[in-house]
Amino acid sequence: MNRIFAGRLARARDVLAKFVYGMTGYEFARHAVEMRHEMEAVFMVVTFGDLIGIPVLPPIYSLRLLPYVVPEIATWKRHLARRREFWEKEEYDLHGV
Amino acid sequence: MNTLLAVIIGVVTVYLAYTLYARRIDRHVIQSDPKRATPATLYMDGVDFMPTNKNILFGYHFKSIAAAGPIVGAIVAATLWGWLPALIWLVLGVSFIGWASDYSGIVISVRNDGNSLSAIAHRLVSPRSRTVLLMFIVAYLLIGASGFTSIMANTIESQPRVPLGLILLTAMGLLLGQMLYRWRTGLVGATVLTVGVTVVGILAGPWSESFFTGLNGAMNAVTSGQPLVTYFDPTAAGFKGAEAQMMPSLLFWAIAVCAFCYAGSVLPIWRMAQPVVYVAFWISAAAMVLGLGGAALAGLGLKPEVAQFVIPAFKGFNPQVGPSGIMPLWPMLFVTIACGAISGWHALFGSVGTARQIENEADMLPVGGGSMLCEFLLGLLALLAVSVGSKGGPVAAFATGLGGFISVFGIPFQFATSLAFAAFIVIVLVVTQLLFRVMRVSLSEWLGEAIPVVRNQHVSSLVCIALALIVVLTGTWIYLWQLLGGANQLMAALALLLVTVWLASVGKSWLYAGLPALFMYVTTIASLFVTGYNLYVNVWKVNWAAGRMVPVFGSAFLIFLVLLLVAAALMIGIDGWRAFQRYRRGIAAPTTAAARA
Repeated sequence: MNRIFAGRLARARDVLAKFVYGMTGYEFARHAVEMRHEMEAVFMVVTFGDLIGIPVLPPIYSLRLLPYVVPEIATWKRHLARRREFWEKEEYDLHGV
Repeated sequence: MNTLLAVIIGVVTVYLAYTLYARRIDRHVIQSDPKRATPATLYMDGVDFMPTNKNILFGYHFKSIAAAGPIVGAIVAATLWGWLPALIWLVLGVSFIGWASDYSGIVISVRNDGNSLSAIAHRLVSPRSRTVLLMFIVAYLLIGASGFTSIMANTIESQPRVPLGLILLTAMGLLLGQMLYRWRTGLVGATVLTVGVTVVGILAGPWSESFFTGLNGAMNAVTSGQPLVTYFDPTAAGFKGAEAQMMPSLLFWAIAVCAFCYAGSVLPIWRMAQPVVYVAFWISAAAMVLGLGGAALAGLGLKPEVAQFVIPAFKGFNPQVGPSGIMPLWPMLFVTIACGAISGWHALFGSVGTARQIENEADMLPVGGGSMLCEFLLGLLALLAVSVGSKGGPVAAFATGLGGFISVFGIPFQFATSLAFAAFIVIVLVVTQLLFRVMRVSLSEWLGEAIPVVRNQHVSSLVCIALALIVVLTGTWIYLWQLLGGANQLMAALALLLVTVWLASVGKSWLYAGLPALFMYVTTIASLFVTGYNLYVNVWKVNWAAGRMVPVFGSAFLIFLVLLLVAAALMIGIDGWRAFQRYRRGIAAPTTAAARA
């Protein structure tokens, strides 16, 4: 009985902790990820822009970087495809309203 | 009536609406399937599309929709019609309409590749509906930003104890952004420091009163104590109407609020808007949690003197506001109380913010519907607070009522009231800056193609602020609020209309969304006409006769906005009806487009 009660209590505590995190720190975490993503997108454009038709001269170091960015290329292309222009930054930050 | 009974009614409403109605719709109509892939899993990019735990998303969505709406609306409605009609609308509205709107905003986006409402309207209804919707949203945000700026400027000017807390809130928000994103300080330590200093600033407000009173006096001395504008205010003198004066100090605080909003609009979101919202969240959350707990405990007998309702249960179907204005219970109650019962903003946010993070379809109801039902509790708390408070105008009554609930925990009454006042003010302030930010983005989206200079964030922000200032200095706050409520509820009606069209297009039963859509559509358009009529007879006509051109211009501008909103709603309504008939005849909807904000 006590074990069941303790289990339920732990679950309730976990739910509450996640709920409070959702109301507080989650937005900061999301925004930090967004900032990092934006910087990575710029980096990808200047090093592998030719993959999406931007006429950049790929530096020789792109070849060395290629194995590391291969897993990200599909996501990066999809992200840029949602933009009207590749340099545009969508800003639908509706935080908190 | 006492507060414990009202809290019990609230909790039972939430339980019954969720288990008996919402779950049935989710299972039998929408048929949410945990195994079906959601846009978050299909298009995961780690940023916009990101599968997220439902409890985290519940907190995120609730915090994103909980703002000043449920509080201000309940206060105004209880003051105009009494607490009983307000309570009935809150209960029925959230049970049959409110949760459905929030939930459906998420569902329609999840089932349409994470597209926003305007993108779905473009595909399902008609191409022009997207442009009309954008125009509608800009007008709606303008009214909202102006209404809140007006409330803020009036409150700060009349309560000189308030500005110190707000100045410290801004400074602490800036410091928090710097600490988190630049100095990489831990969140807990930074929160304790910034929230602590802001609370101290709020509690120290009374000591700064003389300084800000002197500042107001110095401002007014510029015109030798003469008002900038004299106008007829139909809400003055207990809603009988009287001459009102706009002093230079009010203009000063309106400009100060706008300067704050300008910074919040153009600075990177991490620098100001986001951390200020975060600091304000803790202050308002503390006040609300203590208030709701205090309301229940006071009703249990811990402090019965603060638990009894003191305002009348019912004040009449058509209370008099101004010399010849009308305020019929239908449709005006249904737009005065917006967010606690139903809100268009929630559907708007749910479709672009939350829907793209839904991990599996079984989470749509707890996140969307659950958050709305919690928002209802916030509206209920505001209603309780204003119903037991008896001092001063609506905002002061709310603050003394909430202060009374908080004092149940042993906090001295004057400090509890200061905290309640601050909670109200900071909620409104942070919402205002975000409204300006979103309005700037929407304006760029709407007019950016035709007028490229509008794409510059400073230009679009200044345009928005100038328009809002004009409305603030020439408008009447109660009509601004009801206009905001009308636009917001109309947004909800349009969202529900879109859901109805979508349900028809996929061959599902559309009644759960269609009937509320029809009710809200008719009600809100009627309310816009009533507000327009009141503006004409109570503000335009009276001030025209007295030869005061500033309020005449302001009321004419607001009447123009009323007509604009009605025209936009009619266009979307006609297109929506045609699309609905088309799909009911079995014509297939165009194929889904790729997700775009």
